[in-house]
Amino acid sequence: MDYRHPFIKNPRLSISYGVSWVVASMLLVLIATFVNNMAFGLAMKEIFTFMMLFALIGAAIWYVIKFSTLEDNSIFRIALAHLFAASIIVFIWLYTGVVVIKLVHPNAQFWLEQTLVNRLMMGYGLYIINVIFFYAVNYYYAFKEKSRNEVKLKGLVKEAELHALKSQINPHFLFNSLNSISSLTMTDPAKAQEMVINLSQLMRYSLKHDQSEKVTLQQELENNKLYLSIEKVRFGSKLNPVFAVEENCLKAEIPNMILQPLYENAIKYGVYEATETVDVITHVRCSENVLEVTISNTYDKNVVSKKGEGIGLRNIRDRLQVIYANPHLLKIENKQNEFTVTLTIPQKVK
Amino acid sequence: MSEKLRTIIVEDEELARNLMKSFLAENENIELIAECENGFEGVKQINELKPDLVFLDIQMPKITGFEMLELLEHKPQIIFATAYDQYALKAFDYNAADYLLKPYSKDRLEEAVQKVVDRIQKEGKESDVAERVSDFPREEYLDRVVVKDRHKIHIAPVDAVRYIESMDDYVMIYTTEGRWMKQKTMKYFENALNPKNFIRIHRSYIVKVDEIAEIQQYEKESYIVILHDKTKLKVSKTGYKNLKGVLNF
Repeated sequence: MDYRHPFIKNPRLSISYGVSWVVASMLLVLIATFVNNMAFGLAMKEIFTFMMLFALIGAAIWYVIKFSTLEDNSIFRIALAHLFAASIIVFIWLYTGVVVIKLVHPNAQFWLEQTLVNRLMMGYGLYIINVIFFYAVNYYYAFKEKSRNEVKLKGLVKEAELHALKSQINPHFLFNSLNSISSLTMTDPAKAQEMVINLSQLMRYSLKHDQSEKVTLQQELENNKLYLSIEKVRFGSKLNPVFAVEENCLKAEIPNMILQPLYENAIKYGVYEATETVDVITHVRCSENVLEVTISNTYDKNVVSKKGEGIGLRNIRDRLQVIYANPHLLKIENKQNEFTVTLTIPQKVK
Repeated sequence: MSEKLRTIIVEDEELARNLMKSFLAENENIELIAECENGFEGVKQINELKPDLVFLDIQMPKITGFEMLELLEHKPQIIFATAYDQYALKAFDYNAADYLLKPYSKDRLEEAVQKVVDRIQKEGKESDVAERVSDFPREEYLDRVVVKDRHKIHIAPVDAVRYIESMDDYVMIYTTEGRWMKQKTMKYFENALNPKNFIRIHRSYIVKVDEIAEIQQYEKESYIVILHDKTKLKVSKTGYKNLKGVLNF
């Protein structure tokens, strides 16, 4: 959360704020002189002193509303916080106001006795106006932040879709799979047919522009099992997918197409370079408010050149960051001959 | 043609091998003598059985088809079979007889075999695949070095290479895991290694920048390089210029 004062973030807003206070004060001065028949000079001194002081001190109200936002707090708590803050601010305001007035007003003592109660009321009134103003500002910022995040997320989802499609039409996957099918049509037509169907289903899943960008773990796993089953036909016993998934986790939510890049990497760096069987192990655990997916595979350290974080992993990290506002949800462990990726997906508590 | 082409398939995927076998089964020019699942096996079988023709996949576990070619003592005709089209030019550099893109048809495969038949009639059986390789500067630098040492094949990441010394027709590659001999020219390594990390300091030496501990004046106008493990290597005049260029002193 960004607690910086909007006047610091946006100097133009502070100028409009100042100008509004000056204009309001001028109006009050005019009313005082022409309606209440006060002397113009006196009205200027009196009204500007108190109004400008409130403008200055009242700017701090931002922090009060930031720590008692409407969404996360009960009305009672909010009201209490404001009453407390208002009393402090009004006290400071009145006290400094009186100090200044004593310097500039010819008849300060008399004036004070006459107007103190009215001043107090005015203080609380101004407090309310400022509170409304800052709630509006806060709301506006939150709204802007949200739409910015939405745009970013849309971009990232597009990127994930594109990545999934690209990896399916990349020659490594597509043409080798087609070649396998070509081979199977001669030896095992039923299996060839199965593979064509799996390939189609997989591509349909990636082509489908799913409006809801979260799916159940079950859907996501099924899609990835399709992917693995196609690769399994090619790699035979070299690829051994192992799933250890707790039954009650299947209904958990997960951003769609977020796992495929992980399996792709496991195959690209683990299975493809191996001559022995490679276990690609998926381990899923969940609790009330979090889903944890761990995918690990062994690889041959001597063959694989380390080339940093690929586009697939980067996209996953970015998406989790945007959706859950937490940069630590993707964990990568590269130990000896084993590569492990752990995703932690927060769940909405129902 | 009276004699059949003795043929080996080097391909890591079983289904792809099966397809090729069944396509070749009825071809009267082909006698299949072995199938290999990876490049290691490929090197062994090709050097041992000395085939006339090899069908070769490029992306395979451990070593690529191209790397395998560099380890061959016997030089057969090569037909590449791969899903990638971006290696076609490189394959041409290697003087391959043909380049099949997966999935390919039986007709296309037969056409490729026919090319080999024609080529052998014109030029004889021995092809020059592996020799061609070294003359060609690559579009990208090596990231590992593959060396055959009697019955073993070593793969070392380029980072493990410390320095290279020329020995007549061979080079000796000193790595963190030992020293290996390879039939290659110094020129080849000068082109194939990233010049930011490896410097040709002498007619006989290419050294990795990170290995250099000191450069000492040895006589007037002549220098030696001292490595971290105290090995001393001579520096030629041009070598000294190269060192200056990379290290900026």
